[in-house]
Amino acid sequence: MSNRDPDNLISTNDETFDYLFKIVLIGDCGTGKTCVVQRFRSGTFIERHGNTIGVDFSMKTVLIDDKKVKLQIWDTAGQERFRTITQSYYRSANGVVVVYDITKRSTFLSLQHWVEEVRRYTSSHVLLILVGNKCDLESLREVEKGEAEALCQYLPEVLQVVETSAKENTNIDSVFFYLASELKRRYENRQINANGDEVVTLGASRKLSSCSSCSYKIF
Amino acid sequence: MRRNQPLFVQGADLHKNTFRMSEVAEQGKDLCIHTGVVLRNANTKEEEVQSLGTLNIVEYSFGKCIEWKPIEDSVVSENPDQDSEWSLVDTHVRRARTSSEGPDSLGRTRTVRISFSDLNSLRINHGGQQLIFMQKDGTTYVAFFQLSNAESFLNSLKGFINFVKSRTNRNTFIVVDEVQSVLSKSFAELDIFQENTSDYVWKFVRNLHNRPYETTLEAFSKLADICLYKDPVKSSEEASEFLTHDVPALPASVSSGDEYEVIGDHEFDVLPPRPHCPRGMPLSQEQWNKFKDSEGRILNSQEVKDIIFHGGITPSLRFEVWKFLLNYYPWNSTHIERLELKKRKTDEYFAMKLQWRSMTLVQENNFSDYRDRKNLIEKDVNRTDRTHPYYSGDNNPHLAQLSDILMTYVMYNFDLGYVQGMSDLLSPILCLMESEVDAFWCFVGFMEKVSPNFEVDQAGMKTQLCQLYTLLSTTDPQLAYYLNNHDSGNMFFCFRWLLVLFKREFSAVDIMKLWEVLWTDLPCKNFHLLICAAILNTERNVLMENHYGLTEILKHINDLSNHIDLSSTLSKAEGIYCQLISAEDQLPDNIRVIIGLEVQNNVLPVIDIENDIEASDHNAEADESDINAEKNSSTESILGFDTVTFDVKRYK
Repeated sequence: MSNRDPDNLISTNDETFDYLFKIVLIGDCGTGKTCVVQRFRSGTFIERHGNTIGVDFSMKTVLIDDKKVKLQIWDTAGQERFRTITQSYYRSANGVVVVYDITKRSTFLSLQHWVEEVRRYTSSHVLLILVGNKCDLESLREVEKGEAEALCQYLPEVLQVVETSAKENTNIDSVFFYLASELKRRYENRQINANGDEVVTLGASRKLSSCSSCSYKIF
Repeated sequence: MRRNQPLFVQGADLHKNTFRMSEVAEQGKDLCIHTGVVLRNANTKEEEVQSLGTLNIVEYSFGKCIEWKPIEDSVVSENPDQDSEWSLVDTHVRRARTSSEGPDSLGRTRTVRISFSDLNSLRINHGGQQLIFMQKDGTTYVAFFQLSNAESFLNSLKGFINFVKSRTNRNTFIVVDEVQSVLSKSFAELDIFQENTSDYVWKFVRNLHNRPYETTLEAFSKLADICLYKDPVKSSEEASEFLTHDVPALPASVSSGDEYEVIGDHEFDVLPPRPHCPRGMPLSQEQWNKFKDSEGRILNSQEVKDIIFHGGITPSLRFEVWKFLLNYYPWNSTHIERLELKKRKTDEYFAMKLQWRSMTLVQENNFSDYRDRKNLIEKDVNRTDRTHPYYSGDNNPHLAQLSDILMTYVMYNFDLGYVQGMSDLLSPILCLMESEVDAFWCFVGFMEKVSPNFEVDQAGMKTQLCQLYTLLSTTDPQLAYYLNNHDSGNMFFCFRWLLVLFKREFSAVDIMKLWEVLWTDLPCKNFHLLICAAILNTERNVLMENHYGLTEILKHINDLSNHIDLSSTLSKAEGIYCQLISAEDQLPDNIRVIIGLEVQNNVLPVIDIENDIEASDHNAEADESDINAEKNSSTESILGFDTVTFDVKRYK
């Protein structure tokens, strides 16, 4: 069993990276969390992927400003019943991607609930991105982008709202690259702050321009 | 050990040992953090305020402490009937965020600190989910572990504090301090004759044979090293680690180098060598025919199950035999009775199917619980085993059947409804039965066996994960120790295995073989946990030699999917069963309960907080008065004070 798929095995010894960040995907059942991860990780789209039981796990290293940023991506089961298990994986997350389905209003209405989960179970430094998946299904749209942006006014920890399509590969990489570069930047800032001055100013690691995310567009 | 006790009692009221965080300005050093723990004073009532927090081991200049810190806010348990630790998580989830409410008026969410020097004894309760801290002044705290179990905390504690297992109660640990522990260790060695005969014999065997054996084999292995590999000689740690494969009798602590750990704590990790249990031939048509009488009754169902347990069923026979295994057809029914039964069950099925089929759109719009279940079924059916030929392709009619059965099951058991994972359990059954009605009733039988996996509070899953850890602590203590030290003592990485009974781990062909073996309920209760232990045993070296941590363990286990050899795993699991059984009279009660043996030890857990000891803990329905007598005598003689009544002052 030890000689199967050697590329897929993790070995902390032979891989070098400059940064390692843990990113967790959460959101209602069937919003496409697994497809988003799959698209980012391997560039493929498998429509009939089985539902996720417990938690799945993958890694991808991206290059940002010549630095290797390794992302540990945790893909969780969406059903409320399993939250007692999935919650334990939020802890120590650096970034959280909350996924909703733009063609299912109920998944959008759950966002508030998911953000509360994030507040409760992660550290205050965690970066949060809202992802409205399945934006290729324009004719079935039930949630306007403006609504999601408006919601963010009330959720200061949300950095950004992005509409994606795992199927058509729209904005998928951007979500992860944006998270990775933002995490890297803040980590470096924090280091500079720590080196330069023992006192860390409250809020210093959070740029206001990106907190009121809606006016700040990178996509 | 016994002679230490009076010392502790004398020190009982010297000082109050819990105080508020604000009273100590010093910033302690966290040595160990366990999350998801609810702590409460022992005499707090269930319905009173409880809160979730972390249980830490913290080092201060004045010594080490166990410290419990709340995370944010407190929650009032809304449903006292539910298992407390799980209802709490549930209420957390449902309730709005309450941190703005500030600290609660009862002040129970503050940090609680228990100094090591004030700790008298520890006790594991409630199937390993509770850990009770008894302090020298009689103050008692109960910690409920939501995300891990008491044993894992106890293991963390081992690195910092010395304690010995009480002789009369396996779940109680008495704290000894440095000097005393050395004494008690030597006393323990001298005292062996005072123990009961079987314990004595067991220890005798270990003391006399274990060490020389280890030493001899270690020498051999060093020789072998030089002869075979010409490598530098392995360190004794490595050698003993290596040896444990062939000599499971070695206690884990040999390699951990933690001397105090040995006392009493590894009494049961000495299992005899694992026998080889070859797989048998599948149940054949001829055999099956012979088991039937002229009217079609199955004469000796136990024998049939025995054949199936060892070799499975010939594929062409499954269609028929599964109906018996899944309790759709009674084994002693005749052909005619089964025809009648089938007719009745067919009518019943379609009556239930009609109930949801005839629901109007308005009704559906006004019935959100139903709508939620329906939507989820629709989502999941479209992604269940779509790579299997039976369910592949667009507009596959079998998907509609899958959906209809699950919808009808919602009407059959609305409270359970539909939970993710159920479609995985149904898919192979429908694939085999082809008939919607037969598949439904077989699925009902399967759900009877596994419905605790899908309960709202997930208590069934939590129990199994805890049991798996307990089991592993006996079958492979070294691995259990390793997992616990790598944040994996909660066994969450086995969640998928247990939830859908390995459905995602094996091919479509293998899963049928595995399930029919499990459905025989042979050779013991919870055989599926032994299968987990067998797979983990196969992977143990990969996990440990690569020094995998939490993420790597999870990834490795997830990636095992479709790479596990079924036949050797089943052999190994049966071998582990044989090991346990041949050490039967040495098995602690928590293991006996898991594999369904009668609880042997009459000494019950001493304290019965809110009478919530699991029913399984005392299924040996012994005489009430005997139990009480036992309780009193054991507590008085061992602890020197009465812990039964829990007559302790609540800290104010």
